Amino acid sequence: MGGFDFSNHSRNIALHAKGVPLPQATSTGTTIVGCLFDGGVVIAADTRATSGPIVADKNCQKLHYIAPQIWCAGAGTAADTEFTTALVSSNLELHALSTGRKPRVVTCMTMLKQHLFRYQGHIGAYLVVAGCDPTGSHLFTVHAHGSTDKLPYVTMGSGSLAAMSVFESKWKGQLTRDEAVKLCSEAILAGIFNDLGSGSNVDVCVITPEKATLLRNYIQPNQREPKMRNYRFEKGTTAVLSEKVITREDISKYVTVHELGEDGAAGTGEKMEVDT
Amino acid sequence: MTSIGTGYDLSNSVFSPDGRNFQVEYAVKAVENGGTAIGIRCKDGVVLALEKLVASKLVKPGANKRIATVDRNMGVVSAGLLPDGRHFVARARDEAASWRRLYKAPIPTAALADRMGSYVQAHTLYSSVRPFGVTAILAGWDSEAEVPVDGQVGYGPASGAGGKKEGATHGGPFLYMIEPSGMYWGYYGAATGKGRQAAKSELEKLNLAAGNLTLEQGVKEAARIIYVAHEDSKDKEFELEMTWVSSLKGPTKGRHEEVPREVREEAEKWAKKSLESNGEEDEEDEEDKMEE
Amino acid sequence: MMFSLGTSIMAINFRDGVILGADSRTTTGAYIANRVTDKLTQVADTIWCCRSGSAADTQAVADIVQYHLNMYAITNNAPPNTQTAAAIFQELCYDNKDALSAGIIIAGFDHRHGGQVYSIPLGGSLHKQSYAIAGSGSTYIYGYCDANWKEGMTEEEGINFVKGALGEAIKWDGSSGGVIRMVVLTAKGAVRHLYLPDNGYTGPGSKPIS
Repeated sequence: MGGFDFSNHSRNIALHAKGVPLPQATSTGTTIVGCLFDGGVVIAADTRATSGPIVADKNCQKLHYIAPQIWCAGAGTAADTEFTTALVSSNLELHALSTGRKPRVVTCMTMLKQHLFRYQGHIGAYLVVAGCDPTGSHLFTVHAHGSTDKLPYVTMGSGSLAAMSVFESKWKGQLTRDEAVKLCSEAILAGIFNDLGSGSNVDVCVITPEKATLLRNYIQPNQREPKMRNYRFEKGTTAVLSEKVITREDISKYVTVHELGEDGAAGTGEKMEVDT
Repeated sequence: MTSIGTGYDLSNSVFSPDGRNFQVEYAVKAVENGGTAIGIRCKDGVVLALEKLVASKLVKPGANKRIATVDRNMGVVSAGLLPDGRHFVARARDEAASWRRLYKAPIPTAALADRMGSYVQAHTLYSSVRPFGVTAILAGWDSEAEVPVDGQVGYGPASGAGGKKEGATHGGPFLYMIEPSGMYWGYYGAATGKGRQAAKSELEKLNLAAGNLTLEQGVKEAARIIYVAHEDSKDKEFELEMTWVSSLKGPTKGRHEEVPREVREEAEKWAKKSLESNGEEDEEDEEDKMEE
Repeated sequence: MMFSLGTSIMAINFRDGVILGADSRTTTGAYIANRVTDKLTQVADTIWCCRSGSAADTQAVADIVQYHLNMYAITNNAPPNTQTAAAIFQELCYDNKDALSAGIIIAGFDHRHGGQVYSIPLGGSLHKQSYAIAGSGSTYIYGYCDANWKEGMTEEEGINFVKGALGEAIKWDGSSGGVIRMVVLTAKGAVRHLYLPDNGYTGPGSKPIS
């Protein structure tokens, strides 16, 4: 019989009924933050990507471009944040083209929340949306289920508690650009050092009505130290006990020997494709 | 008609070079042959009346009603092609029902007129359909009371809502007429069908804009006007069909209903009497003219 | 993890209109995701709602109702009344009851009907009430409200009633907290109120909505 086999589904239902929990979706431990300041908005993120207990990428970028003046920090399932922000970025550009106006941050936030609400939390994207538009500077959080918050300073991801503790003790109103960048960096550092899921470097993006500046690896608190010793063994460390040379003529008595072509094609069977 | 179509009358979606849509004009012709239908907006309600031409001696008198109820508080009468009128009513009921489904309240007469206007107009745009062969008159009473949400539980504070503006009135009688082009207006008095010209001049004499005519008087006038409009085709028999919708304090308690038989017969008696006396006056008028 | 408004919300009728009130806590499990949440949401010029349940669900529902009421105002050349808003809220909550976790109170003011309060609990039924309380914190204040409720209160009495009730709800319910927000809806328009825990919910008080 052809067709799709649903027996695994029945198996999973039976296992679940026996009390075996459904597998968790992989999500990246992350620290992302955002903070409004006088004349703009800053967002920041760590750069660690994890796959279970393994650090999959030591220097990934969690700050996503949406529009020239709108950037987004993503936590949760890496693929979902990547594709959701890319989708909204694309739709927002088309929207900006058809209206002939600069895209607004609320528009971006609304598109994100409606997309995520439609998928009822199955798209695991937790986002901090920030930007400047003709109506001012804005900062939002968008959760995977589609809820949004509008606040002067926000944190998300597994390191959000550590980061929030920094904001709650040091934030004040009417920050300058430099103060905001410093505060956000400190919050990310708190995540990097106190949250297992976060680590490596600090990325920062500063958005003002004039321009957006991405400060990639703004702080690198986890530079690899040069190795104090090296483990290369000097030539001759291992003693040569005996030496024997077998010529081609000798070996061809026992096996067939082919001459290798210029490109070695005869020997490896398939030709390798090489970008030119 | 001043000119013939010369090919521009074959399809709905085609204009003639001088900007006319012949199919719509032909639909109006169909309306002009139908029995006269009128509506009168009185101060405490609306009357609809219809000159129903007797199609056959074999049809039971009083059966086959032509004025339809669309929602509890609203009625429609039409002149022109009967099946088109039935379809119009069916659509109006759908619109009223869909409004109720979403808003849990009766549709305002103005909103229904707008939706039906759009629906009729849509039938002038496509080559796959033909325009409506009817002009419909829509009568409704929008409740003056506070209407609860359908299905709500409870009534709020016993002492009533706070901050209400006292003494203001709401709702009231509404009358609209929708033509085959989709054009519609709100009217004090509306007439369509064969005897519309006579009916209109009679309606104008009533000075409806002043808003003094009561529903009771309106019923009598409606009967009389249908009788006047019938004068030109006196040889044919007809039945008078009348419905009304009144305020909550009035005889129908805000509902659209048929005018009770006694009231209608009383109105018809009055109509015939005033017609006879009027006839004499008319003759006098003519004599006056001849003298000039 | 679902973000929920383990909440205390209420709305009351008073002499000149209605008052809506809410705490400001949004939780994710044990974590407070937002301590200054605005759970009082405007859906039309003089129609507001209090949201409780899932933040995502109630925001989505309020956005859809707001859209419908905007369209209503445009197509009918007249602002919608509170009944219309309540009907649309109920339609959405009842039809999608299996997918939603939303307990909503609707309150609005218009010159024809005055102030009105409607409540839509979890199953999607619609209740017109003198006053309505909802959310996890409301269980603690049924007695308080019943004992202190009067019909036809003045604005000051109404504000004190709401403030007193929400103060108790916040005190006893762990999922409620933060500031107390209010909206007073009368013939004069909408006025927002804010009361902070720092000074025992005594101020700063009101600010008209621009």
